[in-house]
Amino acid sequence: MNTEEAVVYVIDDDEAVRGALKDLLESVGLRGNIYTSGQEFLAAKRADLPSCLILDIRLPGTSGLDFQRELGMANIKIPIIFITGHGDIPMTVQAMKAGAVDFLTKPFRDQELLDAIHKAIDRDREQRHQRSEVIQLRERYEGLTPREREVLALVIQGLLNKQIAAELGTSETTVKIHRGQVMRKMQAESLPDLVRMAERLCIPAQKY
Amino acid sequence: MVRNRVVLVLLKYGIAAIAVTLALLITQSLQPTVFPTPLFFAAIVVSTWFGGIGPGIFAVFFATLLLDYYFVSASRMFSIHPAALLYLAQFSFPALLSSWFVKKRKDAEQALKEARDQLDAKVQQRTAELREANQQLQAEIAERQRAEEAFHKTQADLAHLTRVMTMSELATSIAHEVNQPLTAIITTGDACARWLAVDPPNLRRVRESLSRIITEGTRASEVVKRIRGLSKKTTFQKSPLQMNELIHEVIALMEHELVTNKIHLQIELASKLPFVYGDRVQLQQVILNLVVNGIEAMNEVRDRARELLIKSEKADLDRLQVSVLDCGCGLEQNQVEHLFEAFFTTKPGGIGMGLSISRTIIESHGGRLWATTNPDHGATFQFALPAADGSDS
Repeated sequence: MNTEEAVVYVIDDDEAVRGALKDLLESVGLRGNIYTSGQEFLAAKRADLPSCLILDIRLPGTSGLDFQRELGMANIKIPIIFITGHGDIPMTVQAMKAGAVDFLTKPFRDQELLDAIHKAIDRDREQRHQRSEVIQLRERYEGLTPREREVLALVIQGLLNKQIAAELGTSETTVKIHRGQVMRKMQAESLPDLVRMAERLCIPAQKY
Repeated sequence: MVRNRVVLVLLKYGIAAIAVTLALLITQSLQPTVFPTPLFFAAIVVSTWFGGIGPGIFAVFFATLLLDYYFVSASRMFSIHPAALLYLAQFSFPALLSSWFVKKRKDAEQALKEARDQLDAKVQQRTAELREANQQLQAEIAERQRAEEAFHKTQADLAHLTRVMTMSELATSIAHEVNQPLTAIITTGDACARWLAVDPPNLRRVRESLSRIITEGTRASEVVKRIRGLSKKTTFQKSPLQMNELIHEVIALMEHELVTNKIHLQIELASKLPFVYGDRVQLQQVILNLVVNGIEAMNEVRDRARELLIKSEKADLDRLQVSVLDCGCGLEQNQVEHLFEAFFTTKPGGIGMGLSISRTIIESHGGRLWATTNPDHGATFQFALPAADGSDS
């Protein structure tokens, strides 16, 4: 794992526990950013890097579980590892159901925590990768002219150039040129590749 | 509306005309035995009374005219004879005056009537207001009573709850207080080991980690020290005690629990027991603990009477012994071995401190606390304490 490119956020109201976690993270070469409360975390500027959040269940004001819900509602997608002094089973179930990566009871073994962190960061990296791919595809799609988009929608239906020309009321040669442009701009290597891209972008195969 | 008023005005003038005409007819029929003027006066007064000043003046003129016509001029015609004028003036001036007085009188009466009506309405309104205020007050009193009852109930509930909760709450809080520094120590220790493992070891970070470990170790020990301080606050206050007295006091405290749990209590206290030298509150706590345990052990007993026996006796020359016997579920052999260990409990909600604390107290008084199984049902918990001899107390 390339640890240079990841950040681990820690929210715990106990200064010593915060400090200890930062120490442990740094001793394995991870970047640790520590916060005393959820509000402080939300207010802080966060790097655009694969990351995860170590969150104490028992926080003053809003609890860790509440904060998890808050992040979900604010559409902040970050894998969470919960730590708690005395976690009961219903609490654990609630946290895991809401998508937590792990639920550790204090004091925890360092390897347990580090494994959870690696799992969480891998998960975040994967999610980010998928998100950025979609963003790239959308940019490419936006580079198409309206006519090319029409052609794309018909091509992914499996229509032949001749049929497309008839649909759009143009010549087959023109369609061929448009189609070449679409393949080039979308950086699609083959028709199935283009169809997959369209699926990722949720472009429906329209009928004209 | 306007028509009604016109009719009313006409009616008033009509009454005046009729009254004066009536006066004329009666006076004429009685001639020449009576004076002509008095009945006309009466007619004017009546007109003013019912019709007001307008019809009054009208009656005066009408009467004057008729007098002149029928009685003053012999020839029954309107003459302008100076003597007649004087006579008529003599009549009409007092008539006008009396008409004016009547009007005043009538107005005064009207005003009085109105004032009375207003007063009546006001009294009624005030009465209604008072009634409403009274109802509100009643409702408030009822509400207050309900609130007070609820408050007393809550207070009673709370008192019960605190007794049950305090120990476990305290334990949770202490666990958290100790757990935080322990977490910091263990995690920092792990980090420290890694700073040492790199080549070359990062000694600056090792020192930083060690410093946190020491700080947090101190913090944990502070927590422990505070707890010890708490227990030291209940200092020993040793005095010569009459064991039977302590038992009676505890029973008085437990009265409610005994009744609600339908416990049949038997007491067998030996007379002439020697004094015990010890702390009253602590020894009471031990007895209380044993009684509560006994009651709880009989929770599930349905098929026989729930009997609890408290006994005091002289064990041998210099010891006395207190026993609490229940007929509950009894003890298993492996339970007897662990009964007095801290955190050992057979009760669903228990925290396993009661017997452990009790044994500590008895031992600090130079005594012994133990448990045995009864031959039929339940268990016996008993403690023996050294008697305070004469030289000691």
